[in-house]
Amino acid sequence: MSDEPSKFSTMSRRTALAAMIAGGVGFAAFGPRGAKQTSDGRIVLDYWEKWTGHEARAMQKIIDRFNDSQNRIRVRYLTTAGIDQKALISIAAGDPPDLVGLWNYNVPQYAETGAILPLDELDVKGEVRPERYAQGFRPVLMHPDPVTKKNRQWAVVNTGGVLALYYNKQIFRDAGLDPERPPLSVEELEAANRKIMKRSGPGSKSALERAGFLHIEPGWWSWIWGYSFGGKLYDADSDRALTASPENIAGFDWVQRTSEEHGVDQTKTFKAGFGNYDSPLNAFLTGKLAMVIQGPWLANVITAHGPRDAQGRPMLDYGVIPMPVIQSQLDLNHPVGLIDCDIMVIPRGVKHPEACMEFMAYLQRQDNVETMALAHYKNSPLAVSSTAFLENHPNRGIRTFDAIAKSDRTYMVPRTRAWPQIKDELDAGLQRIWSLEKPAKDELALIQRRSQDYLDTVEAQRAQRGYGRGTKPS
Amino acid sequence: MSARSAQLKRDLTGWLWVSPWVIGFLAFLFGPMLVSLYYSFTDYPLLEPPIWTGLDNYRRMLSDETFRAVLWRTAKFAIIFIPLATVLALAIAGLLNGKVKAGGFFQAAVFIPTLVPMAGSAMIWLWMLNGEYGLINMTITRLFGWAGLTGANWLSDTKWAMPSIVMISLWSVGQMVIVYLAALKEVPDEMLEAAALDGMGPIRRFLSVVLPLISPVILFNVVTLMIGALQIFAIPYILSAATPGGDPRAMYFYTMYMYDNGFRYGQMGYASAQAWVQLLITLGLTAMLFIASKRLVHYRA
Repeated sequence: MSDEPSKFSTMSRRTALAAMIAGGVGFAAFGPRGAKQTSDGRIVLDYWEKWTGHEARAMQKIIDRFNDSQNRIRVRYLTTAGIDQKALISIAAGDPPDLVGLWNYNVPQYAETGAILPLDELDVKGEVRPERYAQGFRPVLMHPDPVTKKNRQWAVVNTGGVLALYYNKQIFRDAGLDPERPPLSVEELEAANRKIMKRSGPGSKSALERAGFLHIEPGWWSWIWGYSFGGKLYDADSDRALTASPENIAGFDWVQRTSEEHGVDQTKTFKAGFGNYDSPLNAFLTGKLAMVIQGPWLANVITAHGPRDAQGRPMLDYGVIPMPVIQSQLDLNHPVGLIDCDIMVIPRGVKHPEACMEFMAYLQRQDNVETMALAHYKNSPLAVSSTAFLENHPNRGIRTFDAIAKSDRTYMVPRTRAWPQIKDELDAGLQRIWSLEKPAKDELALIQRRSQDYLDTVEAQRAQRGYGRGTKPS
Repeated sequence: MSARSAQLKRDLTGWLWVSPWVIGFLAFLFGPMLVSLYYSFTDYPLLEPPIWTGLDNYRRMLSDETFRAVLWRTAKFAIIFIPLATVLALAIAGLLNGKVKAGGFFQAAVFIPTLVPMAGSAMIWLWMLNGEYGLINMTITRLFGWAGLTGANWLSDTKWAMPSIVMISLWSVGQMVIVYLAALKEVPDEMLEAAALDGMGPIRRFLSVVLPLISPVILFNVVTLMIGALQIFAIPYILSAATPGGDPRAMYFYTMYMYDNGFRYGQMGYASAQAWVQLLITLGLTAMLFIASKRLVHYRA
């Protein structure tokens, strides 16, 4: 038999190879690709957002209204998990979505590296200018331009979020506390916590059955305790970490005091029995925890999963007050609270920035902002809220949240690109402090040193690229 | 057609047939590896062009406390996990190699956990190890409650985090068990019978006959275990994110830190350098294993 392949098999192979190559080339040239224009000639904008479920549905309704309101632009909503990382990669790869919903702490990294477009240039009609927003939200939108060093607007607030203290009035009554006189100061919160705490038996070794307040629940904001004592973590002007300031040490000493009172092992076991945040087993809903720091979104969870009476009506009796601060910092007319909100940005490299701006401006109309806020149980980020919005809001703490948002004593995540690293240090540090492994003072000194290293590394990176702090603005 | 051109044509056809793999390898593995080698010598925040910084990223590792911590934690995991997994897999394979009733069922039962996706596996163990309602603590309390033992906060207690990760990883030794089982079945009965006639007991037979004969398979499994252990990521990543009140650093391993540097901290250059160090460590350890295997591994002629 000859080694030469038969004519038939050669043909078959050639045909198969040709088909494979043609298929590959065809796929590369004409394969699936996000269509950027509809058949009727509309521009298609891809909008990546983090929301799912009812939160996504609320946004989709507004998008549908926008798509129906004109015939030039069509917005496509895409729920995206891990959105900040995926947006980062897509922008770096030069194929970004047209609009992205991020978190407020993403602004410094995205703005400094030129990953997003400044809105002040695009907003020619002044529809999303910072003055439209409540005082607490304005700094969230701004960041210095890396080259000119001028403060510019990079984002709009999609939905507003502010932290406050939720408290269970029924548990207050059971513990002999006045539910209409909730703790306004840290000192009162500590006293209430002691009264509410319930154990399975006498002695500090017995199991925890009910707690007043836990610094590690939900554990999403491990770093905020010094702010209740008048402290802050970072000074943007000098680019210095202030983690080990006396105010922060006092805040984390408070964490250790509470932990000692509850017992570390007892609290770990107790907390292991908490269900998921968005479930009927949420510790605040089950009554295991009487007070919790949360945003307005918790009211939505309470409505969805909270206990109900025989007629199916929500029966969790709760109130919402600003985050307690130490007595010397207490000023009810100027409440303290963390701004923690969702933002929207336009990535660099988008083909139709004006169309993106048009949709963004539509979303930021007062009626649409309030529709979204109502659906998400959140406060409006705008400086002015309609009377109907406040009166018909399903969140019974809305006026508290609204007052905090308009206060001049709100704070936000430290505005530095090094924040993800600093936050990870703080998260780990809180655990070591809370579990009494180290005195708060020592741990915070260590975190401050490491945080400053991260800040210095970022500054060195800036300097290498010609826009360090010492570089003159151009 | 000359013989030479026919040969050339055959070679070309062969290359064309393997071209999907070759292109895939070059485009998605070798190419990115070379690019990452370049990035490892740069400052590359992902959103801005890389800037050449020479050996800075490698030097930075020497003074990076977190890097040292994750390296040691990963090494500790490998040191605990590899021997335990090897002994456990061998023991299970040994049990299944005998005349076991419903042996097929037990083989399937041991193998099935390897088919469970990592995320699913992590969620199952999250509940099994729950400090208050977990099955493990409930069992310990039932069996040893009289002695005051009630279990532990497996995932939220720093000192129990590592044993928990090892335990969860051991759940997936099924694939190794199947490989060992196949190797054990290849051991000639006549050699075992001859050893028994020479007066060797079962332990001596295992150590002197079985173990040398299956040593190439042990080497293969240890090498793959080591590579897997050094790259551990998914289970601790999910568990640490989902553990209420846990120390986020108790389950923080090398690959997690590398991922964070690349995609969360905007330090892709540093992450690339870490990836290359990880590759070099893996290559070094594999080479050491192969050198040691010259004395320890017995290949049948």
